[in-house]
Amino acid sequence: MSAPDRPDDVGPLDPAASLRVIHETQERARAASEPDARLLFAIWGVAWLGGYLALWASARATGALSTGPAYAAFGVAILAAVVVTAVHSIRRTAGTRGLSARQGATYGWSWFLGFVAQAAIVGGLASAGAPPEVVALAANGIACVVVGLMYLAGAIAFDDRGLLVIGVWILVVAAGATLAGVPGTFLLMALAGGGGFLLMAAVEHAALHRRRRAATLAGLAGHAGSGRG
Amino acid sequence: MAEEPLDPVIHATARLRVTATLAALGEGDEMSFPKLQRLLGMTAGNLSTHLRKLEDAGYVRVTKTHEGRTPATYLALTPRGRVAFEEYTQAVTTLLKGARP
Repeated sequence: MSAPDRPDDVGPLDPAASLRVIHETQERARAASEPDARLLFAIWGVAWLGGYLALWASARATGALSTGPAYAAFGVAILAAVVVTAVHSIRRTAGTRGLSARQGATYGWSWFLGFVAQAAIVGGLASAGAPPEVVALAANGIACVVVGLMYLAGAIAFDDRGLLVIGVWILVVAAGATLAGVPGTFLLMALAGGGGFLLMAAVEHAALHRRRRAATLAGLAGHAGSGRG
Repeated sequence: MAEEPLDPVIHATARLRVTATLAALGEGDEMSFPKLQRLLGMTAGNLSTHLRKLEDAGYVRVTKTHEGRTPATYLALTPRGRVAFEEYTQAVTTLLKGARP
């Protein structure tokens, strides 16, 4: 039934070729089984930058709260980012199971539940008679707290320094954006929040390039261990 | 100098690629047969042959299960396989350094 070894499967490997095979294979395996942090940071950076700038521009133009169309634009930007994140993460991790898959699923669900609670709290404040400005500030601030704490949870679960940095930063943005009031809160969310994500995308990209170059220089592959990127 | 021979179970391109791929997963993680096959671009028969050799050496654990009604096969490195891969990587790295002036 099974095919015999092809000649290239058993051919002699010199040490450099072995290390090259290890390096290339592992790079490919990671790319096919772990979500790309660069893509996720970039998509959320664009969504926050565009969405919150729309809210800010509309709030400034009307001198009060943002208009319906601005909120619609914001909603579309966030929804698009959610869909891209979910599809990308599910596709990358499909075909693997075990501890990482369970951690990933719990992490994904925690994000979702955090925002369900955020929506309920904001809705509760509004129906209890909170003024629109308070509702807008609470919606932004609580969303930021959820995001910041989820990144910190990710930093713990995946031992990831990038998530630690962005988690702390987003908590700072949460405090600042709420103190800024309307409409400054939207500008801060766009520039500091969205800008922070875009900066992290660039940092992750540079780090990946540095790792690849170092691996290529150090005897083609160096010691390609089994650690996670 | 007297070199220990490289582990013959791992020291063949196809099995090295299988081992390296599974070693890239976290400990306690498994990969499905179709995903491994797609990643390595090997035929199912060829991959099975090499997996059997790795399993016989105690390096790979093969888990057969069902997802709904479809049978599914998952592969993972055993702790012994992970150690063997680390030692192999260390050995070729040392060889490469020794080959340099």
